[in-house]
Amino acid sequence: MRIDSCFFCGRPAWPSKGITFMRNDGKSFRFCRSKCHKNFKMKRNPRKLKWTKAHRRNAGKEMVVDSTLQFAARRNVPVRYNRELVAKTVKAIERISEVRARRERVFYKKRMAGKRAREVASARKLVANNEHLLPRLRGSEKRRLAELAAEQGVSIEELEAEGLANMRSSKKTLAFGGEKQRLRVRTDGGVETITERAEVSLLGEDDDDNDDDEMDTD
Amino acid sequence: MTWKDIPPVPTSQEFIDIVLSRTQRRLPTQIRAGFKISRIRAFYTRKVKFTQETCSDKFSMIVSSFPILTDQHPFHRDLMNILYDADHFKVALGQVSTARHLIETISRDYVRLLKYSQSLFQCKQLKRAALGRMATLIKRLKDPLLYLDQVRQHLARLPDINPTTRTLLVAGFPNVGKSSFVRSVTRADTPVEPYAFTTKSLFVGHLDYKYLRYQVIDTPGILDHPLEEMNTIEMQSVTALAHLRAAICFFIDISEQCGYSLKAQCNLFKSIKPLFANKMVFIVLNKMDIKAFEDLEPEMQAELNDLTKTGEVELLRASCATQDGVQDVKNRVCERLLVERVAQKLKAGTGSNGAMGSRLTEVMSRIHVAQPLDGIVRQTFIPEGVKNLKKYDKADPERRQLARDEEEANGGAGVFNVDLRRDYILDNPSWKYDRIPEVIDGQNVYDFIDPDIEAKLQALEEEEEKLEKEGFYESEEEEEDESEAEVLEKAEYIREKHRLIRNEAKMRKSLKNRAMIPRKAHKKSFAQLEDHLDQLGVDTEEINLRGRAREQPHTRGRPLPDRYAGREEEDPDAMDIDTRTPHQRVERSKSRARSVPATDRMNDGLTTMEDKTKIEKVRKLGQRKLNRMARQGEADRHIPASMPKHLFSGKRTMGKTNSR
Repeated sequence: MRIDSCFFCGRPAWPSKGITFMRNDGKSFRFCRSKCHKNFKMKRNPRKLKWTKAHRRNAGKEMVVDSTLQFAARRNVPVRYNRELVAKTVKAIERISEVRARRERVFYKKRMAGKRAREVASARKLVANNEHLLPRLRGSEKRRLAELAAEQGVSIEELEAEGLANMRSSKKTLAFGGEKQRLRVRTDGGVETITERAEVSLLGEDDDDNDDDEMDTD
Repeated sequence: MTWKDIPPVPTSQEFIDIVLSRTQRRLPTQIRAGFKISRIRAFYTRKVKFTQETCSDKFSMIVSSFPILTDQHPFHRDLMNILYDADHFKVALGQVSTARHLIETISRDYVRLLKYSQSLFQCKQLKRAALGRMATLIKRLKDPLLYLDQVRQHLARLPDINPTTRTLLVAGFPNVGKSSFVRSVTRADTPVEPYAFTTKSLFVGHLDYKYLRYQVIDTPGILDHPLEEMNTIEMQSVTALAHLRAAICFFIDISEQCGYSLKAQCNLFKSIKPLFANKMVFIVLNKMDIKAFEDLEPEMQAELNDLTKTGEVELLRASCATQDGVQDVKNRVCERLLVERVAQKLKAGTGSNGAMGSRLTEVMSRIHVAQPLDGIVRQTFIPEGVKNLKKYDKADPERRQLARDEEEANGGAGVFNVDLRRDYILDNPSWKYDRIPEVIDGQNVYDFIDPDIEAKLQALEEEEEKLEKEGFYESEEEEEDESEAEVLEKAEYIREKHRLIRNEAKMRKSLKNRAMIPRKAHKKSFAQLEDHLDQLGVDTEEINLRGRAREQPHTRGRPLPDRYAGREEEDPDAMDIDTRTPHQRVERSKSRARSVPATDRMNDGLTTMEDKTKIEKVRKLGQRKLNRMARQGEADRHIPASMPKHLFSGKRTMGKTNSR
């Protein structure tokens, strides 16, 4: 029994799952699911499909060059069973995957470095250009607040600022789900919990890097 | 040496016919009395010359096709001398050659005479005379030509004897069994009959010994009398004996059935002994089946032994009738002949000082005799265990236990399960029944198994340590700025807004076959205006919008239609209450000419009369060119193709429409 990697998408193809195509020149193609099989039959190039490992590796989204990746390999030299060797190997596998996960995290961080700065910059620009779209207090609301302020003896500005903030944030809670708890793994191995407001917008805008989320929550 | 391709020699009459008919065919007489004499002379001269040339060619061909005696091997020369008489042969060829010269002379003479001839008749007579004389000459050659043709026929039938190759020569009295021997050792079909001189000429057969070909020559019998008295048949044998460097097998019939006494046969051997000089001689005692050597009288035995005393002669025994000893004789003779010839060649190639000649060296260097395994003998190796193994016997209760026996003992086929693990060869036998992990955390364990995993893991740990030290894993946490968060929040709000605006615009965009109405012409209620201003943060109460609106005077000019001007339209579904003036009522009661479309396409979207006139102008301007050239316009009736061919036929790029 052996877990092959899918010929098309590169996911592990477990025994009893997927299908294997044997070409009549003897080459075998293992597919993890019918999706991959169908895409293969359509003669699609896995490198050009964003959802495959081949594409991600090709696009530099995944760690490709690393010493931890050298350990697993099909060696065509049969090794006789040795209890000590297997025990050592099993321990080594655990350690190697630990190290690999750690390096992958660093790789991801490096890849994502400066992303927030870019986001903020573009947001600033957007805000600067579209000031007129920001919420404003209605004329009638202003009048009401002014009256309220006069009644309660508080400054009008304070009340107005509060009202504005409410207007902006009230939009967000439109989406269902409310809060979302995320686990963030730090590079030193620790895990911290982050509570976030749901940012699921009603129209579901496509972000070009939405795959990044899955990396954070492993 | 063969003379099988000598062309036939024609008889004299045939010769004349050939020559004259060729002349007639090649140079037909195309001459008239009125021709110029020079032309006539030239023609007849040519004719005479042509005849002469043909004759000469033929004669020289005959002469050259026959072998020249002096160039032949002495054996062949002597053989021909005996068979055809060398003098006779030479004279015949000489006569032919002379005839050629004579014919040349005749033609030369007559060509000269033809130069002086005065008429056609004279020319013709001269030509006749010339050809006649040539024919007479040829006629005189009758006997030589006949003789030469016979010689030619005999030569073609002569056996192909190679005087230089390995040769066995069979000789002896007539009827002693020479031909039977040749018949039994070779493929030659020599005639064997029970009378003397069955073989009247030389016969050749071939045999193979040690992959080499030997030539066996069967000679006619020889009688014991002086050379001068010998006839042609015997002389052939003598010639062969004298000239061929062969192994001679002298056959002696010890049974004396041939009609000649043993004594006479011995005497013959002695008398032709001079011919055996420098040759290997074997005496073959034939017909041993009738009389054995031991049965002979002692003096005869002594006589025969006497012949072999010199040591050069060997005595062999055979019986051609029963084939006893025939092969032995053959093998013995061939073997000795081969050894002798090789020795002779070596001797010839070696100089007097013992050094090999260049040719011999070259031959010797090319010869390599391979010895298998350099002569080492290898013994078969049988392991001790196998040697001592007891032979398997089913009946023996002490026999070896086979896997089959084990199966039988444990429930037989279908029940017994072979324990494959038992035969595993591992470092520690106690590991045999270990459960070997195959998969851990979605990874194949076998892919990681590597004898030097420890070293590699160690290297990885060191690398890890190094990286740790270098600060590879340290990460600077991006501190969350308050103002940044606010900006992002604002940006998000704006994006949301954008999306809504876009959506709205999209919904507005679908015209649904209605005219595009300018914003200015849209109906907007006052409440809407007020709300919008309020949204923008203008306090409408403060600026007293409603009060100002009521004071607004009517716009000047033509009033807009109700639905554009913001006034309420009449409800089309409302009951028809008679609120009209009498004039209106009359108008309405009149019958309508035609139905009015629900939408006024001519005027929809137009606010002012100026617009309308402007549109009219533009339309006319656009139409002008089309009208001028009687082109098809958009008002013309047009029936488009329901299924344009180019859009529905042909194969598609990615398959279907029944692929490519």
